[in-house]
Formats: sequence, structure tokens, C-alpha cells
Amino acid sequence: MITVEGLTKAYGGFKAVNDISFVAQPGRVTGFLGPNGAGKTTTMRVMVGLTPATHGRATIGGHLYHDIPNPGRHVGVLLDASAQHAGRTGREILTIGAKTMGLPETRVDEMLHLVSLSDTEAKRRLRNYSLGMKQRLGIAHALLGDPSVLILDEPANGLDPAGIRWMRTLLKGYADRGGTVFLSSHLLNEVELIADEMILIGMGTIVAQGDKKSLLAMDTNVSSLVMSLDNARLTEALQQKGHTVAAEGEGLRVNCAPEDVGRVALEAQVVLVDLRSGAAGLEDLFLELTSESQRDELPEGATA
Amino acid sequence: MSTTTAPIPIDVNATEHVPMSRLAAVEFRKALDTRAGRWFAASIVALVLVVLTIYALATAATEKNYEDFISIAGFVLGYFIPILIIMLVTSESSQRNGLVTFALEPRRSRIIIAKLLAGLLLAACVMVLAALMAVIATLFGSLTGGTPEWGVDGNLLFNGFVLANLIGVLVGFAIATLLMNTAAAIVVYFVYTFILPTAVGILSALSEGFEKVAPWIDFNTAQLPLFEGDYIPNGEEWAQLAVTGTIWLIIPLFLGIQRLLRIEFK
Repeated sequence: MITVEGLTKAYGGFKAVNDISFVAQPGRVTGFLGPNGAGKTTTMRVMVGLTPATHGRATIGGHLYHDIPNPGRHVGVLLDASAQHAGRTGREILTIGAKTMGLPETRVDEMLHLVSLSDTEAKRRLRNYSLGMKQRLGIAHALLGDPSVLILDEPANGLDPAGIRWMRTLLKGYADRGGTVFLSSHLLNEVELIADEMILIGMGTIVAQGDKKSLLAMDTNVSSLVMSLDNARLTEALQQKGHTVAAEGEGLRVNCAPEDVGRVALEAQVVLVDLRSGAAGLEDLFLELTSESQRDELPEGATA
Repeated sequence: MSTTTAPIPIDVNATEHVPMSRLAAVEFRKALDTRAGRWFAASIVALVLVVLTIYALATAATEKNYEDFISIAGFVLGYFIPILIIMLVTSESSQRNGLVTFALEPRRSRIIIAKLLAGLLLAACVMVLAALMAVIATLFGSLTGGTPEWGVDGNLLFNGFVLANLIGVLVGFAIATLLMNTAAAIVVYFVYTFILPTAVGILSALSEGFEKVAPWIDFNTAQLPLFEGDYIPNGEEWAQLAVTGTIWLIIPLFLGIQRLLRIEFK
């Protein structure tokens, strides 16, 4: 498991990461989500000892990364798939890793096979790799030492849809066998599908954490979206009950639960054709929580 | 999220640290496993061969002894071995693979030692090759009319060949760690070995006083006794080597290693 306690990293007066604490549990995929420049990469760099923390600390299985002997055998790291010598072949990059960790050459073949890089592709130099191929090679490198903890920065970046699905299955299986998976992304959809646990970060601070259900429960504005055969009559009936109704698209948005709308419609004998919760989805929640650190302002009133 | 659960530790007691021999072997491999590294090493060896051949054809029969050939080979190597070392060290930052290197061995001082060992081993290999080529060149020289002597002055071998190239390895290492950028380090190295001595030469020619001071402040001038005369620097010359070596080698090396231990690899 990964434990981060009161971690702060300051560059001069700028705090890239400001007093964050969280735990990534074994057997679970923990997603680390935030907009560009929120402090995700900095946090991961501190975890693997490439950047010293200003305050606080990050431990992996109770150890500082620096104190783990032959760390590749315990922690698989992928921070940047392009951060490899462009003149080396894919196979050579894995061979160097395997040799450093003291693994047999056969392990390289196993990993190439696992990430579906063919022999010809493995003989090509990294500068001729597409981003997706680099990403596969990076994942292979992280898995080389059969570690129990995986730390992956934007692993799905550059993968095609089939590749993303492949990675999802791979990491899920890895967590199911008891591994700790910690991965970052700026794409909510990517993380939502794979992560059991999510940590949302914006401007260097954690704005929310929990599983999907508990995150959604944070949204306290109850509302429903409804469409009927007679919207005018339904509006009237809802307003009589004291609900606020506003037109939205071809239907209506009401400030009460779908159940209440259903009852009103039943009484008023209006046929409903669509009724669902109008609560903000994870994406809205994510944008709202990190709004201060978003670079782009949303158009007013836009919802997902 | 339950922060109250007891931390689940990873048992690392059964894991051995990565031994230095393995780190050094990997670094040695890294010097030669890219096209740039392999071709550069091969070019140095080829260049030595070309220079020796030209020398064998062009020089007087009495100067075709093994000693002549090996000192020429040593001289050529001295210029290029540091560049091999520079490439080995700076690629960690210029090619950004330091991110991986230092994630697999977070104790940076060990990587620094491994790189130095790999650099020395590399230099040793190139020197052995050069010594062998000097043998071939001497045989070739005897075919073109020489009557070579095979004896080698031990001082030449040690000071002019081994020690001079050892200094070269360390100079390359110091410049590389200070700059951590391949192109910049190679440029600075050439300024250091070609332009600086020229400047010192001009200054010495213009001012008689400077000529006397030069060996005390210029490392290249101070190294000349290693290649000339009986190849043994006298007491004063050793002192000059020590003084200039401190200024131009020990201090930059110290600062460079400090920097390499601290910088953030991005």
C-alpha cells in the first residue's frame, strides 16, 4: 500500500503540492485525478524519490522509496513513457531494466508478449515508436520486476480504445491478485471505469476522495429531468406542489427527486416518456470541485 | 477512505541491494548500446588506426619504434575518450532516461560510482585496443623500411598513456556532471582542450611572465611533461599538475557530483 502523509512540495513560493494525505490500498485500483498542473506528477515523483518533499512523506509498504533495496522488484514505476534514450531499441530498454534488477533475459520476452509488442517492433528504436507503443513499453518496464505496487502516471495516454480496454483488464486483474495500483489521469472517463477509489486533486490540494458512490453522494442538489406528452400541464401541476420548474432542452428540470415528479404526474394523469435524476454526474462534480484550478471557464449554465 | 487501517507493510528483508558489479555492467552496456555510442567508440578506434598508418608511411625509419606508435595512439585517445564519458553521463538528463535509472537505484551516489567504473573500464578497453593497434602499426612500419625497437619505457606507458587518459576520463566526467547536457558538455570540452591551450600559448608568446605562470594555472600545459622527455615530471612539474588539477579537475568534479546528487530529473 502507498501512504502519503501531509505531503508538501514547494518551489520557491509556489506550492505544487500542499499538505496532502491519502492511502492507496492493496487489491484496489486508486485513480489520481486532476486537471493539468494540479500536482499529480509532482506527488508521484516524490513517491519514488525523484523529487524531495518539502514537508511530509510518502511511504510504500511502510518504507521510504529510497530505503527499498532493488526497488524495481517491489514497485513498478511509469512516470513518462518518452523518458528513455531515443536511440535504444524497445528490447534493449527492457533488457537494461531486467539486468539492473537481476532478472533473466526470458523475463523481457514475457513482458513484450504481455504488452503485445511484436519481435520486429521490439527491435525498433524508441524514436520510431508511436505514443501508444511507448506507453505499452513503459507498462512492460513497470511490470518487469513483478512488483506488488504499481505507480503509473497517465498510463492510458496515447492508447487507442482497444489499448485502453486492454490496460483496464490488465490493471484490474493485477489489483484482484492483491496488488496496489495507483494511476493518474486528467480524463475522468478513463479513471471512472477502472478505479475502485478516486482521489481528486486541484491546485495542489485534495478536493475529494472516495469511491464513485460516495463521491456522487457529495452532490446535494436534488433535481430531476423529465419529459412528458403534455409538458405545460405537468409544469402547472408541479408548480402547484411548490416545485421549481425550468425548461431544459425538450423537457423540464425540476428541483425534486424523480419519485416526487412521478407521483405528481400520476395525479395529474400526464404520460411521462422520460424521467431520470438530474443530479450532476462525476464530471460535473469534478469540474466544480477543481473549478478554481481549471484553465478554461465553462460556458455559463453548461451541463454535461 | 479508511486511514485508520494498519499499514500493510512490504517485506523487503529478503531483497538484496543491487550490487555495484551489476550497476557498473549495466552502465558499461549503456555506453555502447545506442547507435551514437557504438559508432563513436568504433570511430575512435578507426581514427587511431588511420593516424598510425599515416605515421608509419610518412615518418623516418628510425622513428618507427613501438614506443612512438603507442604514444601517438595514447595522444589521439586522450582527446576522444572524455567524449564517450560525457555521452554516458549526460544522456541521463538529455535523453531523460535518468528518470528510470534513478527509480531503479534511488541511491544516486551508487549510480555515479557505477558510471565512473564503467567509464574507466571503457577507457581501459579502448586503450588495450590502441596498444594492440600500435603493435600492428609497428609491424607495418617494419614492412615500410623501419627496424623497430619493441621496448617500451614504463614511464611512458604509465604516465603518457594510462595516467593521461585517466585524467581525460575524469575531466569528461566533471564537465558532464556540471552541465548535464550532451551538446553543451562536448562544446565546453573542446573549448577546454583546444581553445584554452591556444589562448595560453598566445599569452605565453606575448608575455614572458605568463609563460612561467602558465603551467601553474593551465591544466593542459601542466600535463605536457607526461608526454615529453623521459615522461617523468620532476617535483615542480608534479606540483604544477597537482595545483592545476585541483583547479580544473578536483573542484569541478566535486561540484558536478554534488549537482548530480541533487538535481531533479524531469
